[in-house]
Amino acid sequence: MYAYIIRRLLMLVPVLFGVSVVIFFTLRIIPGDVAQTILGTDATKESLAQLRKDFGLDRPVIEQYITWMSGVLMGDFGESMTTGREVLPDILNRFKITFELTILSAILSWIIAIPLGVIAGIKRNTKTDFTVRIVSLLGVSIPNFALATVLILILALTFSYSPPVGYVGFFEDPIRNLQIMLLPSIVLGTAMAGAVMRMTRSSILEILRQDFIRTIRAKGAKERLVIFNHALRNAMIPILTIIGMQIGVLLGGTVIIEQIFSLPGLGQLVLTSINQRDFTVIQGAILFIAFVFVLVNLLVDILYSYLDPRITYK
Amino acid sequence: MKPLLNIENLSINYMTNKKDFNIVKDVNIKIDERMKYGIVGESGSGKSLTSLAIMNLLPEVLKIQEGSIELNTDSTKDLANISKKEMRKVRGREISMIFQEPMTALDPLYTIEYQLLEVLKIHKTYSKKEMYKIGVDMLKKVGIARPDQVMKDYPHQLSGGMRQRVMIAMALICQPKLLIADEPTTALDVTIQAQILDLMNELSDLHNTAILMITHDLGVILETCERVAVMYAGQIVEESTVEKIFEEPAHPYTKGLLSSIRSLGNKSEELYSIPGNVPTPDQYQELGCRFATRCPYAMDQCFNQEPLMYQVQDDHLSKCWLHVEEGRANERSSERTRS
Ligand SMILES: Nc1ncnc2c1ncn2[C@@H]1O[C@H](COP(=O)(O)OP(=O)(O)OP(=O)(O)O)[C@@H](O)[C@H]1O
Ligand SMILES: [Mg+2]
Repeated sequence: MYAYIIRRLLMLVPVLFGVSVVIFFTLRIIPGDVAQTILGTDATKESLAQLRKDFGLDRPVIEQYITWMSGVLMGDFGESMTTGREVLPDILNRFKITFELTILSAILSWIIAIPLGVIAGIKRNTKTDFTVRIVSLLGVSIPNFALATVLILILALTFSYSPPVGYVGFFEDPIRNLQIMLLPSIVLGTAMAGAVMRMTRSSILEILRQDFIRTIRAKGAKERLVIFNHALRNAMIPILTIIGMQIGVLLGGTVIIEQIFSLPGLGQLVLTSINQRDFTVIQGAILFIAFVFVLVNLLVDILYSYLDPRITYK
Repeated sequence: MKPLLNIENLSINYMTNKKDFNIVKDVNIKIDERMKYGIVGESGSGKSLTSLAIMNLLPEVLKIQEGSIELNTDSTKDLANISKKEMRKVRGREISMIFQEPMTALDPLYTIEYQLLEVLKIHKTYSKKEMYKIGVDMLKKVGIARPDQVMKDYPHQLSGGMRQRVMIAMALICQPKLLIADEPTTALDVTIQAQILDLMNELSDLHNTAILMITHDLGVILETCERVAVMYAGQIVEESTVEKIFEEPAHPYTKGLLSSIRSLGNKSEELYSIPGNVPTPDQYQELGCRFATRCPYAMDQCFNQEPLMYQVQDDHLSKCWLHVEEGRANERSSERTRS
């Protein structure tokens, strides 16, 4: 198992190398200029050239890449071209918010989706089942921004609510933090819940048809035991796949939700840095997101082997 | 003495909003304590449905339409008409069941220990230590050499034969009065088959457990059972002791089945098989005998009127018009001798 984890971590190296190359060279192909963003449209050619030279952008691309990469390998992601701040601490600070948002939305979605999915599966083709299926279809198909806007509107009209401005960390003021995070988490959670619900329903149905469920019933087990100890546990394997994918994607930042609720998360950081062509920040953030994504996948694979004794890694 | 299990006029229908048709019809079976009873028939004849009906485990679309399934243990219960709660006390404790597919009959995510002791946990109140000991003893009884190791194993780590042994251990651990075995050896290698049958016989004698053996294999019946019911298209067509069925089969279907296995042993003869196919429930004749379409002796009335169960001799029933004809012939001949 440990050998497997180490091997998987080693595989990170080529993956991250690939990502770094692609992002680095793509950035230098797309039009746009950080010097122009900083100095504005009235800047003289000389001053623009000087600034680019300061950033090292006049040197050959390969050379730039090597310089950047050797820094990254030492844990130094460089400084933002626009703010001059160090890139890595900025990314980590933003990531905290994205991370909290992801976890809250995920937990909210499980609380709704898994029980409802199980109920729908048990009561297949009843009114309950149809209701759950329609709700989950809505969850999957309503765009986030639409749901967010409608929610804010409803709350604004009924409770004269306005989305809080600025972010407060959980450890500074938990209540204020949750006030800020709850609504965006509900919006994201709804979207996640739809998919999880559908997967839960279909895998519960699938498992309930299996022979071993009949064996357990033949032992005289209560239906509760059949569903929770056996059916749901077996159904968790495909559900985990969906959940892992959702979390992996969300940890990369959610541009729209962060914008609507003015949360300074990873998505916002990427968006603004792209707008400003702040190369160092974009490169660093994308590399970091790729790293987290691969790590989440590894975690899911490890969880599989805990859930299912047939899955062993050597 | 009341029989342990008394099935009377059991009929099972397929029933949904759209369709309703009969599958199993008028099944009558009496199993005494400690008796080994067999049901034999081709695929689709309703053997499994009959056994699932006893366990109240029929799929939702199938319903008991008529009849009673009386179980006489400490008390008398009609399993065709019992609350879910009462039925849970019967399952695993008074009647238990082994299924055909040992590969899929165990939950892949739990150890043998968990699944074996689960039955005990449901029905008994032993301490953990006692339960473990009972489990290990049971595994020893079913011929598992290293029970402590197997307790820790997961189903995928065991062979098919081992899993079926575990299934038997699981079925007998609460010392039920009746063990239903639905094709327990069909999925196993021939050599393992015999071992498993021997084991079941031996343990049923040891624990005074009656067996309801369900199989399409007359050889299995001959090896294990005292009485046998031959099923065809959802009905019992012949019922008697194993000797009578093998030596003096009365029903044309039973005769067909027997000649097909006898021709197997006899190389010079051509392999005999009953012509035609088993009808599916939607093809069952409304009137008449369900076997008539494949019967070499079919007469006009076989297509128009359903034959009754006819007592061909002492303790031997057969559902065929021929017996009535023979009876009349006998009557006529006896009349002639008298006059
Ligand atoms: N869930 C179901 N829905 C509809 N029909 C069913 C269902 N289960 C069984 N049947 C039908 O009932 C009939 C009897 O089935 P059953 O499983 O009892 O046969 P069997 O004698 O056990 O055969 P086998 O040797 O193949 O196990 C079959 O014709 C089958 O098509
Ligand atoms: Mg069957």
